[in-house]
Amino acid sequence: MKLLRERIVERAEAAGADAVSVALYDYGKALQFSHEGDRWFHAASMIKAPLLLAVYRLAEEGRIRLDDTLHVRNRFRSLTGEIFRVSPHRDGDSEVHRRRGRSMRVRELARAMIVRSSNLATNLLLDYVGIEEVRRILTEARLEGIEARRGVEDTAAFEQGINNEVTAEGMARCFRLLCQEGFVRGETREQMIEVLCAQEFNGMIPAHLPREARVAHKTGEISTVCHDAGIVFLPKREPYVVAILTQWPAHVERRQGCVAEISRAVYEHVTGKEGGAA
Amino acid sequence: MNGLEPLKVADGMDLSPQMRALLRPGERAKDRRGRTHMLPRFFLEIGSWEQAKKRPVTANFSFAELLMVDCREADTLLNTFPHYVPCAVQVLAQYLERFREKAEAPVFIAANGGYRSPAHRAHAEAVSPHCWACAADIYRVGDVYLDDEKSIERYRRMAEGLGQEVRTKPYGHGTQETDDHLHIEIGYVTLAPGNCDEGGGEDE
Repeated sequence: MKLLRERIVERAEAAGADAVSVALYDYGKALQFSHEGDRWFHAASMIKAPLLLAVYRLAEEGRIRLDDTLHVRNRFRSLTGEIFRVSPHRDGDSEVHRRRGRSMRVRELARAMIVRSSNLATNLLLDYVGIEEVRRILTEARLEGIEARRGVEDTAAFEQGINNEVTAEGMARCFRLLCQEGFVRGETREQMIEVLCAQEFNGMIPAHLPREARVAHKTGEISTVCHDAGIVFLPKREPYVVAILTQWPAHVERRQGCVAEISRAVYEHVTGKEGGAA
Repeated sequence: MNGLEPLKVADGMDLSPQMRALLRPGERAKDRRGRTHMLPRFFLEIGSWEQAKKRPVTANFSFAELLMVDCREADTLLNTFPHYVPCAVQVLAQYLERFREKAEAPVFIAANGGYRSPAHRAHAEAVSPHCWACAADIYRVGDVYLDDEKSIERYRRMAEGLGQEVRTKPYGHGTQETDDHLHIEIGYVTLAPGNCDEGGGEDE
């Protein structure tokens, strides 16, 4: 384990990261590893993965239906009471913005929230189910290490220091719920994994893994943090769950590359093989 | 109308108890200011979503545009057919048609922006002219999204020019103001078709 820890620190220091945190659980070897896994970070878009879990769990409970439709409206009330809109220019997804005024299914919004990290879809879902319901689900799931407090792009709340926060261990726990029996049914887990595998931002965890690796994951990135967490499925072995959270000075580039290199180090550690996407 | 078979008119009093509980035909209801109004009693029956999409109310507005709601509507009204829409929707559509002519551009009604039943979650506290099919929330005119003061106020003035019975909400973030659509209403109009008996059912 010392070797992996050293490799993580080495890569993070070389890239100029302020902080790095990694949590790993390998189902193949029942191996658990944590490097500063209880350190809190601004969640950025990574909060969308626990929100996906909450939405699907609420559907299982019969409180919402995935095929229900929601009015696509770009108008939200901040925790501070102000009205705000999600900027189409800052959103990773344009499809939901194009549907303004019309309606979309909960299932479609959940997919857009993950696959293209749609901020508008995220806020629409959160507005519909309510932050308190999300928090209730996370508490029932015993997901310590994830604090969901608000929607995304709520600048007024941000300025008051009200943010979504996560730890690497919290995110790893979240993804482990998708791998094992218990919190949600098998069929629901498969649906969520399918959505997470359709992720279009693949510059981090999957970047330096072999082509045959299938990764169900969610990224999160703002000016000072760069994260990725998910499940890595490899042929002929059990999957592993990894969460890599990093913090940076605002000017540093190649942050995604650093996370990708740490992901490769984790892969090599877990499998005992040399990585490489080529 | 346009050679189409007339839609069936339903007397709300003859609907199933479950439907009556949701639509509350002829009942008194209070608006946001506490004023009492009589909810509509006569409805046009829309047999399917396909029919709602294909069937025009007027030349440029289909029933689907004026019936589109999301899951905040009562479950039965959202997912089962026939749908029932107050007959006054035909009056509203005439006003929208005139508004479209003045704007010289297509007019787009938002989801939840046409008819909403009294059971819709938006009416948890009070009914609105949407329950009479007498209000429309317009989110777009031509290529212009109505999400700022300039566009909302421009088309608001245009809508109010249609007649003193037309009311709108001003731009703003408070209650009874709008900031991402133009709200147009024509009051609490009820329409009893000529062959209906307001003392009983429809006269065949």
